[in-house]
Amino acid sequence: MRSFRRHRTLWYGLIAALPLVLGVCSVFLGRYPVSVRDIGALAAAAWTGQGMDPTHFSVIVHVRLPRIILGALVGGSLAVSGAAFQGLFRNPLVSSGMLGVSSGAGFGAALALILFDRYMYVYPFAFGFGLLAVLLCFFIGRLTASTQAITLVLGGVIVGSIFSALISLLKYLADPYDELPAIVFWLMGSLSRAEYDHILTAGVPMVMGSVGLMIIRWRLNVLAMGDREAHSLGLNVTANRIFIIVCATLATAGAVCVSGVIGWVGLVVPHMGRMIIGNDNKALIPVAFCMGAAFLILVDDISRLISTSEMPLGILTSLLGGPFFIYLLRRTRGREW
Amino acid sequence: MKNAAFSFGRIPVFRQVNLKIARGEVFCLLGPNGCGKTTLIDCMLGIHTLDKGRLCLMGQSRTRHSPKETARVMAYVPQKHDRHFSFSVLDLLLLGRTPYTAFYASPGKPDIEKAEKILELFGLSHLMHRDYTRLSGGETQLVMIMRALIQETPVIVMDEPTSHLDFRHELIVLETLARLIRERRITLVMATHFPNHAFYFENAGIPVNVAFMGHQTVVPSGSPSRALTEENLARFYQIETVVMTRTLAGKGRIKQIIPIKTLDRETEGRP
Repeated sequence: MRSFRRHRTLWYGLIAALPLVLGVCSVFLGRYPVSVRDIGALAAAAWTGQGMDPTHFSVIVHVRLPRIILGALVGGSLAVSGAAFQGLFRNPLVSSGMLGVSSGAGFGAALALILFDRYMYVYPFAFGFGLLAVLLCFFIGRLTASTQAITLVLGGVIVGSIFSALISLLKYLADPYDELPAIVFWLMGSLSRAEYDHILTAGVPMVMGSVGLMIIRWRLNVLAMGDREAHSLGLNVTANRIFIIVCATLATAGAVCVSGVIGWVGLVVPHMGRMIIGNDNKALIPVAFCMGAAFLILVDDISRLISTSEMPLGILTSLLGGPFFIYLLRRTRGREW
Repeated sequence: MKNAAFSFGRIPVFRQVNLKIARGEVFCLLGPNGCGKTTLIDCMLGIHTLDKGRLCLMGQSRTRHSPKETARVMAYVPQKHDRHFSFSVLDLLLLGRTPYTAFYASPGKPDIEKAEKILELFGLSHLMHRDYTRLSGGETQLVMIMRALIQETPVIVMDEPTSHLDFRHELIVLETLARLIRERRITLVMATHFPNHAFYFENAGIPVNVAFMGHQTVVPSGSPSRALTEENLARFYQIETVVMTRTLAGKGRIKQIIPIKTLDRETEGRP
């Protein structure tokens, strides 16, 4: 859009402020009423070291805050990975789950839910199988002589469908009263299990991956020229591609293992960024992170408010993102795209 | 490129190829469709590795050179460029600065100034913020050439630089190249389907060498006047041609080649 281009700095500022503003507002949103005064009391309590109403404290510090932080991290990670994969594979239809991370992680989670009684095994299983799926893609890509992008994409499709079939198999075998609902709910994505120690452990790969992509973001422009041209422009194509895949995989696997499969963010949020700021990855990657973070915070707010039993995020992201995407398409007429 | 000797050995595409390209000259690689010109160029650029043989650049053997080092010596203008994302022309030009940009960095102000200067040189400053996917074929080709120039390399490799350009754009490209070769002593390696391009540079007073590619080998044939004979074209393209010479006031002697008709496949001569 013309106006975006003219006021570039202003837009960067606005987009960067978006997740922060939404995050702060989200503290006040939810079933349990929290007012500005409570925040004041919390700040005073933290300052003076004196206690406050424990329910209030718990709602703000142990329920809402971790969800907001986790939402921002997960949304941002999925969006940057999606943007990076789209640039890397030179394909706008690619998403963060392209190389089978999401289906692999989904299978790992379902397996853990069936094998163990304790929920804590879900995270390492989801993470591990997410990485395994990407490794399998690599081996499929290796079957052909060159490590061409297209064979990787094809590998992603194959591995993704194999793991989807395995998920169905586990669902079929699962105990329908106990395990099956847990699997289904997990696959639809949720932030309801947000706790600080999860944020810390899953945050490490998410932050590592996102920072890695942030560092290398300009080189995505070079890779978007195609392998031959990128090579002639002085880029070691294979090394850079592997670095980007490793980063995006870490970020996505970290996100999926704590939040389940949240679709749409890794596919469409990058496109929203493209429409607003353009395709230059130098600007797009940070913008995608902020927009993904803001989007997921917002969707999680709605999921908390809409009903007493939380609506799974995977449903809401599509229901809300779809119309918004159509609106953006209409506003920009896809000009920057 | 000084005293560079290329020897390639690659059985399916070409073998026993020996080439020497001197600094400041235009090297025209001619040959029928599918004879392996692009593959040869890929080998020069290091996209493919040679099965056998050696490749020297600026007097140094580069068996294991990094893409970055190569990109500081040779820039490449592709024959066909696939446009996937709509970048601005400026973003695209800045890609030429890749070999000088660190792993974590992106081009800075001096690089943007270089891009602005090149655009000015071509009189295309108005295109700077335009979406490059909406440029015409000719403009895109010029942008690609500008990107190669911004790479600031002593050698530019072009794969059919004027395919799908109209007469005017073709001449703009050729004139610009001729000027750059004269001013900056750039070495130009180009694969082309138009023998007249070789004549163009020769007519412009630039040292040109022609090599024919065909039957899995490359035959260096010297200057266009020596190489582009009716016999040679009959041999490599199986066509009948006439070389026309005309003296123009102020321009000197102009040579052009005119295709007449295809020759019978039966009488095809082998080198």
